[in-house]
Amino acid sequence: MKNYFAILFMITLLGSYACKTEEKEEKTDRRVITLENTPAKRPYSPAVEAENTLYVSGQIAIDQSTGKLIDGGIDEQTRQTLKNLKNVIEKAGYVMDNAVKCTVLLSDIAFYTTVNQIYMEFFPKDPPARMAFAVKDLPLGALIEIDAIVVK
Amino acid sequence: MKGEKIFTISINKLNTKKLIKTSNAPSAIGPYSQAVEINGTLYISGQLPVDPVTGKLTEGIAEQTSQVLMNIGAILKDAGYNFSDVVKSTCFLSDINNFKAMNVVYARYYSENPPARATIAVKDLPLGALIEIETIAVK
Repeated sequence: MKNYFAILFMITLLGSYACKTEEKEEKTDRRVITLENTPAKRPYSPAVEAENTLYVSGQIAIDQSTGKLIDGGIDEQTRQTLKNLKNVIEKAGYVMDNAVKCTVLLSDIAFYTTVNQIYMEFFPKDPPARMAFAVKDLPLGALIEIDAIVVK
Repeated sequence: MKGEKIFTISINKLNTKKLIKTSNAPSAIGPYSQAVEINGTLYISGQLPVDPVTGKLTEGIAEQTSQVLMNIGAILKDAGYNFSDVVKSTCFLSDINNFKAMNVVYARYYSENPPARATIAVKDLPLGALIEIETIAVK
């Protein structure tokens, strides 16, 4: 019985907290998401959160443990890029299903079909809106880069 | 108990990700949704100059720009938005030389208080299109 009241109290507290956070929206909280291996001197953050929206920087196929681009073709790079994207999203307390918009930048438009197949594994249901195109060059000579807007 | 109820409602309200699907615009050619709406913001996928009736790419930069904007218009309409709700547009061209021709058509659709915009010439667009436009609208 004591436990029941304690839980009830917690829920009420949580409820009133949720109301409060909804009410005081005049000042936007801005939260910068960092990762353990984020290099200190980089002029962008892995992700920035403002008003329940997470803006994830373009991710490339960097191996988080070495900080270097992985070896391998478009299959491996797409998988690594999406793993990195998922990692940032989850570190920020969101899930892949919260993604509403992605941009897929390819170094070659011929990768389009292959990328779609792997992309589908990471967004199996209700995929986000998307823009995909081939660019002239990507940083570090990557084959693919993906950014995302995630909302919860 | 009252608190619990309010908590649930506020979370649900924030979480509603709605997918927009319309036959008045071409269906997606990859694993993406035509548009996603959440919290009064509509994210429209990059629209290609595909005629939704024939399923074919239209020809020439003027026609392609017009087709892309008609597709955007159809998605906006079916989602309950209109062109004046658009806050940001990103135009991707396969050739920067098409900039002027694109603008002439673009201005017809965004005649007053046009949205913020970025235009980029890219290496290649899906289906070999000359133009693709991505759109964000807010109600």
